[in-house]
Amino acid sequence: MDIQYGIGPLIVIILALVGWGVKWKNSSMAIAVWVWLVLAVNGFMSWGAIIRGNWPDILLFAVNLIAASSALDGVWFLKEHPTIPVWRYQVWWALFWASLMAIVMAQNLMISWIAIEFSTLASGALVVEMAHRRALEAAWKYIVIASVGLALALIGIIFVYAGLRFQGLGWDTLNYGNLARNAHSIPGIVRAVATIFIVSGIGTKVGLVPFHTWLPDAHSEAPSPVSGLLSGVLLGLSLVTIDRVVRAMPQPSHTLLSGPHLLILFGILSVSVGSLALLVQRDIKRLLAYSSIEQVGIMAIGFGIGTPLAREAALLQLLFHAVIKSTLFYLSGHLSSAYHTKRLDKITAIAAKHKKLAITWALGILALAGLPPLGLAYSEWMMLEAFWDVHATGLVIFLAVALAITFAALSFHLLGGLWGGLELSEGHTADTEETTRDARHGTRAMGGEQP
Amino acid sequence: MAVAGFLVFLGACGLLWSRNMVYGVIFLAAEGLALSMMVWSTEPFSLTMAAIVAATLIIKVGLIPGSMYRVVSRWPTEYRQDQPLPFWAYPVAAGLLLAVGHVIQLLAPSNVIMHRTLFFYGLASIHLGLLMIVSRRHMLSQVAALVGIENGLVVLAASVAGSLPTFMEFGMLVDLLVAAAILVWMSHRIHRQLKTTDVVALRRLRG
Repeated sequence: MDIQYGIGPLIVIILALVGWGVKWKNSSMAIAVWVWLVLAVNGFMSWGAIIRGNWPDILLFAVNLIAASSALDGVWFLKEHPTIPVWRYQVWWALFWASLMAIVMAQNLMISWIAIEFSTLASGALVVEMAHRRALEAAWKYIVIASVGLALALIGIIFVYAGLRFQGLGWDTLNYGNLARNAHSIPGIVRAVATIFIVSGIGTKVGLVPFHTWLPDAHSEAPSPVSGLLSGVLLGLSLVTIDRVVRAMPQPSHTLLSGPHLLILFGILSVSVGSLALLVQRDIKRLLAYSSIEQVGIMAIGFGIGTPLAREAALLQLLFHAVIKSTLFYLSGHLSSAYHTKRLDKITAIAAKHKKLAITWALGILALAGLPPLGLAYSEWMMLEAFWDVHATGLVIFLAVALAITFAALSFHLLGGLWGGLELSEGHTADTEETTRDARHGTRAMGGEQP
Repeated sequence: MAVAGFLVFLGACGLLWSRNMVYGVIFLAAEGLALSMMVWSTEPFSLTMAAIVAATLIIKVGLIPGSMYRVVSRWPTEYRQDQPLPFWAYPVAAGLLLAVGHVIQLLAPSNVIMHRTLFFYGLASIHLGLLMIVSRRHMLSQVAALVGIENGLVVLAASVAGSLPTFMEFGMLVDLLVAAAILVWMSHRIHRQLKTTDVVALRRLRG
């Protein structure tokens, strides 16, 4: 893995600026083709490592895959939203993509921190480009809360550096390899405090409960191709960064609030809040955002348990979630555009009106709900097996109940979306407008609209 | 070094106390100047050190306060003032400052703190910045608080590590510059679209 991958985003920026300069209408398509080309080269060069199961290469490929799909969806999205300044969107998007690749390739804790912070700024600017009131509010909260969280993480990083300053290695002190070899030299109390700051600080960026308040707002108000990258890729990569720190600086198992303890604690809270919140969502993108909180919670518990099986399950969960969630966010954007609303009670009768979207949407939601044999069912089963192996019976029961709630909530919303309000769609258009009293009564009767 | 740390701490107190955004900009510039002095006085002269001092001066004394002042000066007078600090913020501020002493006691056996007074100024400035974010309502107060927290981090780093690696210093500076630029741009845009600078107006989305 080399710095050559920086060429990908650089060419996107050049194409965006050239497109702006010469009023090139197809610059988005050219950018999409370029990003797919980068993906192909990346896949060709790393194929051996990917087959061998080398996780950094797999994650880099996943980042490029989701970026390529995001770029392609961006072509469609920008046509649907002609008020968004195309070149600015593309430049911020390229910087966001670059920061995601940097998070995967970072071998140094400080580079990881800088990359995560820049991903916040670039994606925050993309949310601002939506320009309406809700987007501005979401972007403001996102940047301020995430920046405060990352400032706390920086305190932890400074403590780690201070604990190893006697080495005199300068910049290399914070290399993950050096941390793993010399973490025992850091005084116990300093290691403990640093771990709490780093896990909580970067955990804010992951959207772990109780630091999650910005997440549903930002992910639901971001442009859909960006929501896919935010939810599918960035959350998972930030969690992997926490895992790298926790593994590099192990603490005695009796330490109160050690890294694994914090991951399990925040993971349980996230799964609880995420799965229960799914039941009451009324906005299609917020539904997906809360599902992300639940999913990163499951991954966090897996990383917290820390056995090889649990970690593999968490990484597989990350991969499957990245592909499924990004696809669902793209689809939710197109559904919102087609229905001129993000309200779930208005997005009804998809099966009758948009058959192609309906099939993909249904498959995606069922995959997200964990229906076998779709991917997440496999990784979630592995996760349960990993909990069982370490005799964490309570966690097995907890996760099983949470997954059942998630399945029920997502199925409910899926059925309402596919067939809710179907009767009303024949004869008049009352299913998308609540202009008449009859329409409200009729839609309620079909379960398509909640009072 | 301790004098520079003290000036940063005073700047943090001033930022928290000040309601007028123009004064806030002046306090931020003063903090930037104090940090430049700190770097200048603690490290032997080298091109790298001169570059860090120059970058700190340009970014923390020039660009960030300058861009904030440019935005504030365009707004009508009623948008340049923040609301009074709520009463609860005073005891919380006192408690946070006392907590710094407890942290110093806690970390003392580990010998990680090289300069206790400086550590106090650094962590106290961070605490006051965090308090400012939750207690102040003007958007630019929150931007100033984030910059103040970063200034406190630099003082804290000096107290436990002497100096940070060059790349780390530049990384933090560039990150701060980009963050402040985006937030100031957003403040301007929110004011233009929503005719407010009060973060309380940003409550349509509920987490």
